[in-house]
Amino acid sequence: MAQQLDYEPKLVALLCRWCSYAGADLAGTSRKKYPANIGIIRVPCSGRVDPLFVFKALRMGFDGVLVSGCHPGDCHYQTGNYRARRRMVITKRFLEYMGIDPRRIQASWVSASEGSKFAEVTSEITHELKEIGPNELFSDNGKGTRTEITK
Amino acid sequence: MNYSLTTEKELEQKLQSEAHALLKDGCCDYIIGFEQGSLPFTTTPLITKNQEDVNRLVVNSFIVNNLSHFLNEIKGRIGIVVKGCDSRSVVMLMTENRIKREDIFILGISCPGMIDLNKVELLLSKNSEDLEDITREGNNVVVLSDSKEILPITDVLYDNCLGCNAPIPQEYDILIGEASYLVTDKEASQRKINLVKSLSTEERWQYWKDEFKRCIRCYACRNVCPVCYCEQCFVEETEPRWLSPAPNWQDNLMFQVVRNLHVAGRCTDCGECERSCPVRIPLRSLTREMYDIVVDSFGYEAGKDKDAPSLMAGYESSEVEGVFR
Repeated sequence: MAQQLDYEPKLVALLCRWCSYAGADLAGTSRKKYPANIGIIRVPCSGRVDPLFVFKALRMGFDGVLVSGCHPGDCHYQTGNYRARRRMVITKRFLEYMGIDPRRIQASWVSASEGSKFAEVTSEITHELKEIGPNELFSDNGKGTRTEITK
Repeated sequence: MNYSLTTEKELEQKLQSEAHALLKDGCCDYIIGFEQGSLPFTTTPLITKNQEDVNRLVVNSFIVNNLSHFLNEIKGRIGIVVKGCDSRSVVMLMTENRIKREDIFILGISCPGMIDLNKVELLLSKNSEDLEDITREGNNVVVLSDSKEILPITDVLYDNCLGCNAPIPQEYDILIGEASYLVTDKEASQRKINLVKSLSTEERWQYWKDEFKRCIRCYACRNVCPVCYCEQCFVEETEPRWLSPAPNWQDNLMFQVVRNLHVAGRCTDCGECERSCPVRIPLRSLTREMYDIVVDSFGYEAGKDKDAPSLMAGYESSEVEGVFR
Protein backbone atom coordinates (compact mmCIF):
# COMPACT_ATOMS: atom_id res chain seq x y z
CA MET A 1 0.00 0.00 0.00
CA ALA A 2 3.06 2.23 -0.04
CA GLN A 3 2.07 3.52 -3.45
CA GLN A 4 -1.29 4.64 -2.15
CA LEU A 5 0.23 7.34 0.05
CA ASP A 6 1.00 9.53 -2.91
CA TYR A 7 -2.09 8.42 -4.81
CA GLU A 8 -4.22 11.33 -5.91
CA PRO A 9 -7.75 10.47 -7.05
CA LYS A 10 -9.27 12.09 -10.09
CA LEU A 11 -12.82 13.32 -9.71
CA VAL A 12 -15.29 14.55 -12.33
CA ALA A 13 -17.79 17.13 -11.13
CA LEU A 14 -20.92 17.73 -13.18
CA LEU A 15 -22.07 21.11 -11.92
CA CYS A 16 -25.33 22.86 -12.60
CA ARG A 17 -24.90 26.11 -14.50
CA TRP A 18 -27.02 28.20 -12.11
CA CYS A 19 -25.96 27.14 -8.61
CA SER A 20 -23.07 24.74 -8.15
CA TYR A 21 -20.92 26.13 -10.95
CA ALA A 22 -21.32 29.60 -9.50
CA GLY A 23 -20.66 28.09 -6.06
CA ALA A 24 -17.38 26.65 -7.32
CA ASP A 25 -16.57 30.03 -8.82
CA LEU A 26 -17.26 31.71 -5.48
CA ALA A 27 -15.01 29.23 -3.71
CA GLY A 28 -12.26 30.39 -6.06
CA THR A 29 -12.87 34.12 -5.81
CA SER A 30 -13.14 33.99 -2.03
CA ARG A 31 -9.78 32.15 -1.92
CA LYS A 32 -11.14 28.98 -0.34
CA LYS A 33 -8.80 26.05 -0.68
CA TYR A 34 -10.18 22.94 -2.33
CA PRO A 35 -8.40 19.92 -3.80
CA ALA A 36 -6.98 20.16 -7.30
CA ASN A 37 -8.14 16.60 -8.03
CA ILE A 38 -11.39 17.82 -9.45
CA GLY A 39 -12.29 18.36 -13.10
CA ILE A 40 -15.39 20.45 -13.62
CA ILE A 41 -17.93 19.96 -16.41
CA ARG A 42 -20.66 22.56 -16.62
CA VAL A 43 -24.16 21.29 -17.39
CA PRO A 44 -27.29 23.40 -17.93
CA CYS A 45 -29.06 21.77 -14.99
CA SER A 46 -28.49 18.78 -12.71
CA GLY A 47 -31.53 17.31 -14.47
CA ARG A 48 -29.42 17.20 -17.63
CA VAL A 49 -27.17 14.56 -16.10
CA ASP A 50 -27.89 11.22 -17.71
CA PRO A 51 -26.66 8.25 -15.63
CA LEU A 52 -24.75 7.49 -18.83
CA PHE A 53 -22.39 10.40 -18.06
CA VAL A 54 -21.71 9.03 -14.60
CA PHE A 55 -20.96 5.56 -15.89
CA LYS A 56 -18.88 6.86 -18.79
CA ALA A 57 -16.63 8.72 -16.36
CA LEU A 58 -16.06 5.53 -14.38
CA ARG A 59 -15.48 3.64 -17.62
CA MET A 60 -12.81 6.16 -18.61
CA GLY A 61 -11.01 5.49 -15.36
CA PHE A 62 -11.97 8.45 -13.20
CA ASP A 63 -12.07 7.52 -9.55
CA GLY A 64 -15.27 9.29 -8.67
CA VAL A 65 -18.13 11.37 -10.01
CA LEU A 66 -19.87 14.25 -8.29
CA VAL A 67 -23.22 15.52 -9.49
CA SER A 68 -24.20 18.81 -7.94
CA GLY A 69 -27.12 21.16 -8.41
CA CYS A 70 -29.40 23.71 -6.79
CA HIS A 71 -31.12 22.92 -3.49
CA PRO A 72 -34.61 21.36 -3.80
CA GLY A 73 -37.07 24.11 -4.64
CA ASP A 74 -34.40 26.42 -6.09
CA CYS A 75 -34.09 24.93 -9.57
CA HIS A 76 -33.92 27.54 -12.32
CA TYR A 77 -36.11 25.25 -14.42
CA GLN A 78 -38.46 24.53 -11.48
CA THR A 79 -38.16 20.73 -11.40
CA GLY A 80 -34.81 19.68 -12.88
CA ASN A 81 -33.15 18.88 -9.59
CA TYR A 82 -36.07 16.72 -8.42
CA ARG A 83 -35.51 14.57 -11.46
CA ALA A 84 -31.78 14.52 -10.79
CA ARG A 85 -32.49 13.40 -7.26
CA ARG A 86 -34.58 10.44 -8.37
CA ARG A 87 -31.98 9.50 -10.95
CA MET A 88 -29.05 9.66 -8.57
CA VAL A 89 -30.84 7.59 -5.93
CA ILE A 90 -31.48 4.72 -8.33
CA THR A 91 -28.08 5.07 -10.04
CA LYS A 92 -26.24 4.80 -6.77
CA ARG A 93 -28.23 1.83 -5.52
CA PHE A 94 -28.06 0.03 -8.84
CA LEU A 95 -24.31 0.48 -9.28
CA GLU A 96 -23.85 -0.79 -5.74
CA TYR A 97 -25.75 -3.92 -6.76
CA MET A 98 -23.44 -4.26 -9.79
CA GLY A 99 -20.42 -4.21 -7.51
CA ILE A 100 -19.20 -0.61 -7.62
CA ASP A 101 -18.35 1.11 -4.34
CA PRO A 102 -21.24 3.57 -3.81
CA ARG A 103 -18.76 6.20 -2.55
CA ARG A 104 -17.54 6.63 -6.12
CA ILE A 105 -20.87 8.19 -7.02
CA GLN A 106 -21.51 11.38 -5.10
CA ALA A 107 -24.23 13.99 -5.18
CA SER A 108 -24.66 17.31 -3.43
CA TRP A 109 -26.73 20.45 -3.30
CA VAL A 110 -24.54 23.56 -3.53
CA SER A 111 -26.08 26.97 -4.09
CA ALA A 112 -24.36 29.94 -5.72
CA SER A 113 -23.62 31.45 -2.31
CA GLU A 114 -22.11 28.31 -0.79
CA GLY A 115 -18.48 28.61 -1.88
CA SER A 116 -17.27 27.23 1.42
CA LYS A 117 -19.66 24.29 1.24
CA PHE A 118 -18.30 23.44 -2.21
CA ALA A 119 -14.76 23.44 -0.83
CA GLU A 120 -15.86 21.24 2.08
CA VAL A 121 -17.75 18.76 -0.09
CA THR A 122 -14.90 18.32 -2.55
CA SER A 123 -12.28 17.81 0.17
CA GLU A 124 -14.48 15.27 1.93
CA ILE A 125 -15.04 13.35 -1.29
CA THR A 126 -11.35 13.42 -2.21
CA HIS A 127 -10.55 12.08 1.23
CA GLU A 128 -13.06 9.24 0.82
CA LEU A 129 -11.77 8.38 -2.64
CA LYS A 130 -8.22 8.17 -1.28
CA GLU A 131 -9.46 5.57 1.18
CA ILE A 132 -11.10 3.44 -1.53
CA GLY A 133 -8.04 3.54 -3.78
CA PRO A 134 -7.77 3.81 -7.54
CA ASN A 135 -10.59 2.81 -9.88
CA GLU A 136 -9.51 -0.49 -11.41
CA LEU A 137 -13.00 -1.67 -12.26
CA PHE A 138 -12.45 -1.84 -15.98
CA SER A 139 -8.85 -2.94 -16.07
CA ASP A 140 -7.88 -6.36 -17.28
CA ASN A 141 -4.27 -6.25 -16.12
CA GLY A 142 -4.63 -4.50 -12.79
CA LYS A 143 -3.12 -1.28 -14.13
CA GLY A 144 -6.36 0.61 -14.53
CA THR A 145 -7.36 2.64 -17.52
CA ARG A 146 -5.84 5.93 -16.52
CA THR A 147 -3.96 6.28 -19.81
CA GLU A 148 -7.21 7.09 -21.51
CA ILE A 149 -7.58 10.23 -19.42
CA THR A 150 -4.07 11.58 -19.84
CA LYS A 151 -4.15 11.17 -23.62
CA MET B 1 -61.19 -25.24 -10.33
CA ASN B 2 -57.97 -25.96 -12.10
CA TYR B 3 -56.31 -24.82 -15.23
CA SER B 4 -56.32 -27.53 -17.86
CA LEU B 5 -56.26 -28.22 -21.55
CA THR B 6 -60.01 -27.78 -21.92
CA THR B 7 -59.75 -24.31 -20.40
CA GLU B 8 -57.08 -23.46 -22.97
CA LYS B 9 -59.27 -24.61 -25.87
CA GLU B 10 -62.24 -22.58 -24.58
CA LEU B 11 -60.11 -19.47 -24.23
CA GLU B 12 -58.68 -19.97 -27.69
CA GLN B 13 -62.11 -20.24 -29.30
CA LYS B 14 -63.35 -17.18 -27.46
CA LEU B 15 -60.31 -15.19 -28.54
CA GLN B 16 -60.71 -16.26 -32.16
CA SER B 17 -64.38 -15.29 -32.31
CA GLU B 18 -63.72 -11.92 -30.63
CA ALA B 19 -60.83 -11.17 -33.00
CA HIS B 20 -62.92 -12.24 -35.97
CA ALA B 21 -65.72 -9.89 -34.94
CA LEU B 22 -63.28 -6.99 -34.51
CA LEU B 23 -61.94 -7.30 -38.04
CA LYS B 24 -65.38 -7.93 -39.52
CA ASP B 25 -66.95 -4.86 -37.90
CA GLY B 26 -63.98 -2.75 -38.90
CA CYS B 27 -63.22 -1.90 -35.29
CA CYS B 28 -59.60 -2.83 -35.90
CA ASP B 29 -57.28 -2.63 -38.89
CA TYR B 30 -54.92 -5.23 -37.50
CA ILE B 31 -54.92 -8.02 -34.99
CA ILE B 32 -51.69 -8.84 -33.19
CA GLY B 33 -51.64 -12.19 -31.44
CA PHE B 34 -49.84 -15.52 -31.29
CA GLU B 35 -49.87 -18.48 -33.64
CA GLN B 36 -48.23 -21.88 -33.46
CA GLY B 37 -44.47 -21.62 -34.04
CA SER B 38 -42.41 -23.73 -36.43
CA LEU B 39 -41.07 -25.84 -33.56
CA PRO B 40 -43.24 -27.69 -31.04
CA PHE B 41 -43.98 -25.77 -27.82
CA THR B 42 -43.16 -22.43 -29.38
CA THR B 43 -45.36 -19.64 -30.65
CA THR B 44 -44.67 -16.81 -33.01
CA PRO B 45 -46.37 -13.42 -33.35
CA LEU B 46 -49.27 -13.25 -35.79
CA ILE B 47 -49.98 -9.84 -37.29
CA THR B 48 -52.88 -9.87 -39.68
CA LYS B 49 -55.58 -7.94 -41.52
CA ASN B 50 -57.44 -11.01 -42.79
CA GLN B 51 -60.44 -12.49 -41.08
CA GLU B 52 -59.49 -16.04 -42.08
CA ASP B 53 -56.11 -15.77 -40.39
CA VAL B 54 -57.51 -15.21 -36.91
CA ASN B 55 -58.38 -18.91 -36.75
CA ARG B 56 -54.68 -19.49 -36.33
CA LEU B 57 -54.61 -17.56 -33.04
CA VAL B 58 -53.61 -19.67 -30.06
CA VAL B 59 -53.77 -19.40 -26.28
CA ASN B 60 -51.54 -21.77 -24.33
CA SER B 61 -48.68 -21.80 -21.85
CA PHE B 62 -46.09 -20.85 -24.46
CA ILE B 63 -47.33 -17.44 -25.60
CA VAL B 64 -44.27 -15.91 -24.00
CA ASN B 65 -43.54 -12.84 -26.12
CA ASN B 66 -44.44 -9.29 -25.20
CA LEU B 67 -46.29 -8.08 -28.28
CA SER B 68 -46.70 -4.49 -27.10
CA HIS B 69 -43.35 -3.79 -28.78
CA PHE B 70 -45.18 -3.83 -32.15
CA LEU B 71 -47.38 -0.91 -31.09
CA ASN B 72 -44.33 1.31 -31.55
CA GLU B 73 -44.07 0.36 -35.20
CA ILE B 74 -47.54 -0.41 -36.57
CA LYS B 75 -49.92 2.48 -37.09
CA GLY B 76 -53.69 2.21 -37.27
CA ARG B 77 -56.35 0.75 -35.02
CA ILE B 78 -54.90 -2.37 -33.49
CA GLY B 79 -56.41 -5.24 -31.57
CA ILE B 80 -53.67 -6.70 -29.43
CA VAL B 81 -53.50 -9.86 -27.32
CA VAL B 82 -51.83 -9.17 -23.97
CA LYS B 83 -51.00 -10.99 -20.77
CA GLY B 84 -50.65 -9.27 -17.38
CA CYS B 85 -47.06 -8.07 -17.83
CA ASP B 86 -47.64 -7.07 -21.48
CA SER B 87 -50.60 -4.93 -20.46
CA ARG B 88 -48.33 -3.02 -18.09
CA SER B 89 -46.01 -2.32 -21.02
CA VAL B 90 -49.02 -1.09 -22.99
CA VAL B 91 -49.96 1.20 -20.10
CA MET B 92 -46.36 2.43 -20.00
CA LEU B 93 -46.50 3.29 -23.71
CA MET B 94 -49.71 5.23 -23.07
CA THR B 95 -48.12 7.08 -20.15
CA GLU B 96 -45.27 8.08 -22.43
CA ASN B 97 -47.66 9.20 -25.18
CA ARG B 98 -46.42 6.66 -27.70
CA ILE B 99 -49.93 5.37 -28.32
CA LYS B 100 -53.46 6.55 -27.68
CA ARG B 101 -55.87 4.42 -25.69
CA GLU B 102 -58.61 4.86 -28.29
CA ASP B 103 -56.37 3.52 -31.06
CA ILE B 104 -55.95 0.13 -29.50
CA PHE B 105 -58.35 -2.60 -28.56
CA ILE B 106 -56.93 -4.76 -25.81
CA LEU B 107 -57.77 -8.44 -25.74
CA GLY B 108 -56.60 -9.32 -22.25
CA ILE B 109 -55.76 -12.85 -21.23
CA SER B 110 -55.78 -13.74 -17.57
CA CYS B 111 -52.38 -15.32 -17.57
CA PRO B 112 -51.80 -18.76 -16.05
CA GLY B 113 -48.00 -18.30 -16.14
CA MET B 114 -45.70 -19.24 -18.98
CA ILE B 115 -43.73 -22.47 -19.12
CA ASP B 116 -39.98 -22.14 -19.55
CA LEU B 117 -38.99 -24.83 -22.02
CA ASN B 118 -35.35 -24.58 -20.92
CA LYS B 119 -36.32 -25.50 -17.38
CA VAL B 120 -38.31 -28.52 -18.62
CA GLU B 121 -35.38 -29.64 -20.77
CA LEU B 122 -32.99 -29.20 -17.87
CA LEU B 123 -35.16 -31.05 -15.34
CA LEU B 124 -35.74 -34.03 -17.60
CA SER B 125 -32.33 -33.80 -19.32
CA LYS B 126 -34.07 -34.21 -22.66
CA ASN B 127 -34.18 -32.16 -25.81
CA SER B 128 -37.51 -30.48 -26.48
CA GLU B 129 -37.65 -32.22 -29.87
CA ASP B 130 -37.97 -35.56 -28.07
CA LEU B 131 -41.00 -34.43 -26.08
CA GLU B 132 -44.40 -35.38 -27.40
CA ASP B 133 -46.69 -33.27 -25.29
CA ILE B 134 -46.68 -30.81 -22.41
CA THR B 135 -50.04 -30.27 -20.75
CA ARG B 136 -51.15 -28.61 -17.57
CA GLU B 137 -53.29 -30.41 -15.04
CA GLY B 138 -54.05 -28.33 -12.01
CA ASN B 139 -50.83 -27.36 -10.30
CA ASN B 140 -48.78 -29.90 -12.22
CA VAL B 141 -47.36 -30.19 -15.68
CA VAL B 142 -47.54 -33.52 -17.43
CA VAL B 143 -44.73 -34.12 -19.89
CA LEU B 144 -45.08 -37.00 -22.33
CA SER B 145 -42.06 -38.48 -24.06
CA ASP B 146 -40.94 -42.13 -23.98
CA SER B 147 -42.08 -41.93 -20.37
CA LYS B 148 -44.67 -39.85 -18.52
CA GLU B 149 -43.31 -37.29 -16.08
CA ILE B 150 -45.24 -35.07 -13.68
CA LEU B 151 -43.57 -31.85 -12.62
CA PRO B 152 -44.87 -29.26 -10.14
CA ILE B 153 -45.79 -26.07 -11.98
CA THR B 154 -43.53 -23.88 -9.81
CA ASP B 155 -40.50 -25.78 -11.13
CA VAL B 156 -41.14 -24.98 -14.75
CA LEU B 157 -42.63 -21.48 -14.88
CA TYR B 158 -40.44 -18.54 -15.89
CA ASP B 159 -38.77 -16.71 -12.99
CA ASN B 160 -40.68 -13.53 -13.72
CA CYS B 161 -44.00 -15.44 -13.75
CA LEU B 162 -43.16 -16.90 -10.33
CA GLY B 163 -42.67 -13.38 -9.00
CA CYS B 164 -45.74 -11.91 -10.74
CA ASN B 165 -48.39 -10.23 -8.60
CA ALA B 166 -50.70 -9.09 -11.39
CA PRO B 167 -51.40 -11.87 -13.92
CA ILE B 168 -54.70 -10.25 -14.91
CA PRO B 169 -54.17 -7.33 -17.32
CA GLN B 170 -54.31 -3.84 -15.84
CA GLU B 171 -56.11 -2.48 -18.82
CA TYR B 172 -58.36 -4.35 -21.22
CA ASP B 173 -61.45 -4.07 -23.37
CA ILE B 174 -62.28 -7.75 -23.27
CA LEU B 175 -60.92 -10.16 -20.71
CA ILE B 176 -60.55 -13.73 -21.95
CA GLY B 177 -60.81 -16.07 -18.97
CA GLU B 178 -62.14 -14.77 -15.70
CA ALA B 179 -59.82 -15.90 -12.95
CA SER B 180 -56.09 -16.40 -12.90
CA TYR B 181 -54.63 -19.80 -12.14
CA LEU B 182 -51.11 -18.53 -11.60
CA VAL B 183 -49.18 -20.22 -8.82
CA THR B 184 -46.34 -18.02 -7.61
CA ASP B 185 -43.20 -18.65 -5.62
CA LYS B 186 -41.46 -15.41 -4.65
CA GLU B 187 -38.47 -17.21 -3.20
CA ALA B 188 -37.78 -19.12 -6.42
CA SER B 189 -38.25 -16.05 -8.61
CA GLN B 190 -35.61 -14.16 -6.60
CA ARG B 191 -33.14 -17.02 -6.37
CA LYS B 192 -30.62 -15.71 -8.91
CA ILE B 193 -30.81 -12.18 -7.53
CA ASN B 194 -30.30 -13.31 -3.95
CA LEU B 195 -27.28 -15.25 -5.12
CA VAL B 196 -25.71 -12.05 -6.47
CA LYS B 197 -26.68 -10.12 -3.33
CA SER B 198 -24.99 -12.65 -1.08
CA LEU B 199 -21.63 -11.83 -2.70
CA SER B 200 -19.27 -9.07 -1.57
CA THR B 201 -18.87 -5.91 -3.65
CA GLU B 202 -15.74 -7.18 -5.43
CA GLU B 203 -17.26 -10.61 -6.03
CA ARG B 204 -20.38 -9.04 -7.50
CA TRP B 205 -18.30 -7.07 -9.99
CA GLN B 206 -16.36 -10.21 -10.87
CA TYR B 207 -19.64 -12.09 -11.36
CA TRP B 208 -21.00 -9.53 -13.83
CA LYS B 209 -17.63 -9.23 -15.51
CA ASP B 210 -17.65 -12.98 -16.20
CA GLU B 211 -21.25 -12.89 -17.41
CA PHE B 212 -20.60 -10.05 -19.83
CA LYS B 213 -17.52 -11.69 -21.28
CA ARG B 214 -20.03 -13.94 -23.09
CA CYS B 215 -22.09 -11.08 -24.55
CA ILE B 216 -21.84 -10.84 -28.33
CA ARG B 217 -23.61 -7.45 -28.43
CA CYS B 218 -26.37 -8.62 -30.77
CA TYR B 219 -28.70 -6.04 -29.12
CA ALA B 220 -31.53 -8.59 -29.08
CA CYS B 221 -32.35 -7.50 -25.51
CA ARG B 222 -32.77 -3.93 -26.66
CA ASN B 223 -34.65 -4.79 -29.84
CA VAL B 224 -37.35 -6.83 -28.09
CA CYS B 225 -37.81 -4.36 -25.25
CA PRO B 226 -41.14 -2.50 -25.58
CA VAL B 227 -39.82 0.61 -23.82
CA CYS B 228 -36.54 0.73 -25.79
CA TYR B 229 -38.00 2.72 -28.65
CA CYS B 230 -35.42 5.54 -29.05
CA GLU B 231 -34.82 6.44 -32.69
CA GLN B 232 -31.13 6.51 -31.96
CA CYS B 233 -29.80 4.52 -29.05
CA PHE B 234 -26.77 5.87 -27.16
CA VAL B 235 -24.74 2.87 -28.31
CA GLU B 236 -25.01 4.00 -31.90
CA GLU B 237 -24.18 7.63 -31.29
CA THR B 238 -20.85 8.58 -32.79
CA GLU B 239 -20.57 12.20 -31.68
CA PRO B 240 -19.63 11.65 -28.92
CA ARG B 241 -18.99 7.94 -29.08
CA TRP B 242 -20.08 6.62 -25.69
CA LEU B 243 -18.78 3.12 -26.11
CA SER B 244 -16.86 0.99 -28.54
CA PRO B 245 -18.98 -1.10 -30.93
CA ALA B 246 -16.60 -4.03 -30.46
CA PRO B 247 -17.87 -6.64 -28.00
CA ASN B 248 -15.40 -6.37 -25.12
CA TRP B 249 -16.68 -7.03 -21.62
CA GLN B 250 -16.18 -3.47 -20.40
CA ASP B 251 -18.42 -1.96 -23.06
CA ASN B 252 -20.88 -4.88 -22.95
CA LEU B 253 -21.32 -4.23 -19.26
CA MET B 254 -21.60 -0.49 -19.76
CA PHE B 255 -24.26 -0.97 -22.44
CA GLN B 256 -26.39 -3.18 -20.24
CA VAL B 257 -26.01 -1.09 -17.09
CA VAL B 258 -26.91 2.14 -18.84
CA ARG B 259 -29.77 0.46 -20.69
CA ASN B 260 -31.12 -0.62 -17.33
CA LEU B 261 -30.76 2.87 -15.91
CA HIS B 262 -32.63 4.21 -18.94
CA VAL B 263 -35.54 1.79 -18.53
CA ALA B 264 -35.73 2.28 -14.77
CA GLY B 265 -39.33 2.82 -13.74
CA ARG B 266 -40.47 1.86 -17.23
CA CYS B 267 -39.50 -1.81 -17.25
CA THR B 268 -42.43 -4.03 -16.26
CA ASP B 269 -40.46 -7.21 -15.61
CA CYS B 270 -41.84 -9.06 -18.65
CA GLY B 271 -38.57 -10.99 -18.98
CA GLU B 272 -38.24 -10.59 -22.75
CA CYS B 273 -34.58 -9.47 -22.58
CA GLU B 274 -33.49 -12.59 -20.75
CA ARG B 275 -35.57 -14.82 -23.04
CA SER B 276 -34.08 -13.28 -26.16
CA CYS B 277 -30.46 -13.53 -25.02
CA PRO B 278 -28.63 -16.06 -27.21
CA VAL B 279 -25.82 -16.53 -24.66
CA ARG B 280 -28.18 -16.71 -21.68
CA ILE B 281 -26.91 -13.86 -19.56
CA PRO B 282 -29.24 -13.56 -16.55
CA LEU B 283 -30.50 -10.12 -17.61
CA ARG B 284 -33.62 -10.36 -15.49
CA SER B 285 -31.38 -10.25 -12.42
CA LEU B 286 -30.61 -6.69 -13.50
CA THR B 287 -34.07 -5.54 -14.58
CA ARG B 288 -35.90 -7.06 -11.64
CA GLU B 289 -33.44 -5.61 -9.14
CA MET B 290 -33.91 -2.21 -10.75
CA TYR B 291 -37.70 -2.69 -10.54
CA ASP B 292 -37.38 -3.46 -6.82
CA ILE B 293 -35.07 -0.48 -6.21
CA VAL B 294 -37.64 1.83 -7.82
CA VAL B 295 -40.50 0.33 -5.81
CA ASP B 296 -38.49 0.52 -2.61
CA SER B 297 -37.27 4.09 -3.11
CA PHE B 298 -40.34 5.73 -4.59
CA GLY B 299 -43.18 3.21 -4.32
CA TYR B 300 -43.55 3.41 -8.09
CA GLU B 301 -44.66 0.34 -10.03
CA ALA B 302 -44.37 0.69 -13.78
CA GLY B 303 -47.62 0.26 -15.67
CA LYS B 304 -49.82 -0.31 -12.64
CA ASP B 305 -51.67 2.98 -12.92
CA LYS B 306 -52.40 4.58 -16.28
CA ASP B 307 -53.19 7.98 -14.77
CA ALA B 308 -49.98 8.23 -12.73
CA PRO B 309 -47.14 10.32 -14.18
CA SER B 310 -43.96 8.51 -15.16
CA LEU B 311 -41.19 7.95 -12.63
CA MET B 312 -39.11 10.98 -13.54
CA ALA B 313 -42.04 13.32 -14.08
CA GLY B 314 -43.66 12.46 -10.76
CA TYR B 315 -41.68 13.74 -7.80
CA GLU B 316 -42.37 15.02 -4.37
CA SER B 317 -40.47 17.88 -2.86
CA SER B 318 -39.83 15.86 0.27
CA GLU B 319 -38.45 12.45 -0.51
CA VAL B 320 -35.33 10.35 -0.01
CA GLU B 321 -32.62 12.90 0.68
CA GLY B 322 -29.97 10.46 1.91
CA VAL B 323 -27.60 10.37 -1.05
CA PHE B 324 -27.20 14.15 -1.30
CA ARG B 325 -24.69 16.03 0.77
